[in-house]
Amino acid sequence: MTSNEARSGDPVAEASATLDGPGADVALLSVVIVDDHSIFRSGLRAELDAGIRVLGEAATVDEAVTIVARLQPRVVLLDVHLPGGRGGGGGEVILDAAPSAPHTLFLALSVSDAADDVVRVIRAGARGYITKSASGAEVSEAARRVASGDAVFSPKLAGFVLDAFGAVAGEMAETMEELDRLSGREQEVMRLIARGYTYREVAGTLFISPKTVETHVSAVLRKLQLSSRYELTAWALERKLL
Amino acid sequence: MTRPRQRLVAGVCAGFAEHTRLPVTAVRVGTVLLSMAGGAGALLYAWLWVTIPDTPPRSGALPKASLARPAAAPGRVGGLSVPDRGGPLVDGQVSGGAASVGSADATAARAAPVTEILLGLALLAAGSALAASRLGLNVPLAVVIPGIVVLAGVALAWRQFADIRVGARSDSSALLVRALGALLLVAVGILLFFVTGDQQGGWTVVVASVSVLLGVIVVIAPWLVRLSRDLADERSERIRESERAEIAAHLHDSVLQTLALIQQKAGPHSDAARLARAQERELREWLFTGVHGAGARGARPADPADTSGTFAPAEAPIDLPAALRRIVGEIEADFPVQFEVVTVGTAPAVVPDALIAAAREAMLNAAWHAGGTVSVYLETSKVGSTLSVTDRGPGFRLADIPSDRHGVRESIIGRMNRIGGSAAVRPGPGGSGTEILLSLPLGGTATSAPLIGVGAATANAGAPSAATAGAGTGAEDQGHDEQ
Repeated sequence: MTSNEARSGDPVAEASATLDGPGADVALLSVVIVDDHSIFRSGLRAELDAGIRVLGEAATVDEAVTIVARLQPRVVLLDVHLPGGRGGGGGEVILDAAPSAPHTLFLALSVSDAADDVVRVIRAGARGYITKSASGAEVSEAARRVASGDAVFSPKLAGFVLDAFGAVAGEMAETMEELDRLSGREQEVMRLIARGYTYREVAGTLFISPKTVETHVSAVLRKLQLSSRYELTAWALERKLL
Repeated sequence: MTRPRQRLVAGVCAGFAEHTRLPVTAVRVGTVLLSMAGGAGALLYAWLWVTIPDTPPRSGALPKASLARPAAAPGRVGGLSVPDRGGPLVDGQVSGGAASVGSADATAARAAPVTEILLGLALLAAGSALAASRLGLNVPLAVVIPGIVVLAGVALAWRQFADIRVGARSDSSALLVRALGALLLVAVGILLFFVTGDQQGGWTVVVASVSVLLGVIVVIAPWLVRLSRDLADERSERIRESERAEIAAHLHDSVLQTLALIQQKAGPHSDAARLARAQERELREWLFTGVHGAGARGARPADPADTSGTFAPAEAPIDLPAALRRIVGEIEADFPVQFEVVTVGTAPAVVPDALIAAAREAMLNAAWHAGGTVSVYLETSKVGSTLSVTDRGPGFRLADIPSDRHGVRESIIGRMNRIGGSAAVRPGPGGSGTEILLSLPLGGTATSAPLIGVGAATANAGAPSAATAGAGTGAEDQGHDEQ
């Protein structure tokens, strides 16, 4: 996915460019960067594309909660590990800031691939998770995706979901309401994302519309947030997404 | 001199014979004959039994283990070299770590003589008393016999103590027998001393009970020592653990961040990024497998489930995800490529080398022809393993490869076929790039048919997509021609 911008001639990149076009015209996407490393904040700020406006930055849990409440950004790029507060890091920011900023969405951004970290922020309410080695373009794209109400899954997170929901062992949800297992379609989508497919490629491979892919991914995110399946937390502690 | 594992009674004769290179039978006969001479042989046998250690089950395993884990094991093996367990814990760890190799033998030698001396004294006393009484001297048996018994009891207790200090793990029944024996011997000895003594009086009873108490204390002292030692061990383990976690958290936050930033800033395919990525991978490996390993060791007695979760990183060298990560490290060092490896499911313990080799070939192929970001996805289920390598390069068709080129046909497809698996090469998602799919059923060719079905479903959601793959190929062909 890093090579998205490198492949400017191919239809996929062009399509996504036209998709981004109207969004950029209407309004800039307002973003707050929360990370305790100033180098990283300034680095990310410089890397984000022109369609994104950085309203502010925060370095600690307390700062983040205040600044999110004050600036009401659309998306918060949130580091998982943060000092301050009650020691809860990114998850605590989400829990504390969400009531005062109802229209703000959170995208977790971390160097950590430890599954328990990831699951904790997701369950606190983050709409997605990407690693910090992602390029500026990727982060921008992910932020835009989150802003439009979709979920963002990295391949590793998709792999973890397959594992944690027992998809590998052949478990499959029978009804749509079931929270503890994935439906067959959701498993297919997750498998392809784990293999590095973009949403659009997943859609093309499965003969469904990109919107349907997004619906499936959002459904999986919801399950990830609400399921009481014990592996989600138990396995998260054991396993690393390495 | 050691007592071998294969033994008739306690292995004393066999050990003695081995040591002196005399025939075992002769030694045994000699012992029996000696035993008839006033029980001397039996006594000697008992003495040797107690004092000669067992042959270690696997010699050499211990030092190697402590070499391999310099920081983690000293509490078990090397801690004994620290005389004062109550002293500062850090001190214990450091000197323990330094002395851990081979210190078991050294300390066994250093700690053992007390037992031998005590038992020897008891034996000597018994012997000289026997000899003296044979010679007709008036031996105060009332003093000598209790003395011998007490000496033997203390020796036994001391041995217990020495064992604990050496860290030898004997089974609990042996411990119990030895402990009860020591207790009984000391108590009986002391009581005998007073009961058979000439002067009987009120104070005798008091002294006797105090003595028995003292004896009991002597015997249970090792347990008190062990208890406090275990406590100290546990505490130091916990301190070490939290220290390590702190370091890991710090490294995680600062160093990994920096490395991620370097990769981001330097552009994905520059040398700096590659270097940073290699460093990051090493650091992660160290952080995670290290923390994992320490956790498993720390929680060993309490949490058996832990080991089941942690078997993958450390103990199994041919573990498939680990092998993949190693290959990734090698290839990324040589090519401007980034692999994103995702593994799902629990990889089987035994992985055919051919699968690893085929995976390596597929990854090399992607690195060589495509570069950029390459996704590697491994899924292991009950039916088998599926591994896909997806790149975003120019793509190629199997039919276009000249027949004298063996890279894909032989090294990947041929290899997989030979081990009962299968390999497929097809255009990547959206018709760009290449996707190599390896699948290997669990248990060989017999189940291969359903697995390939699974693999296809995994890749492409069933039958209709086969047509797309074909269509994609066609479209891509045209693209190729234009280029």
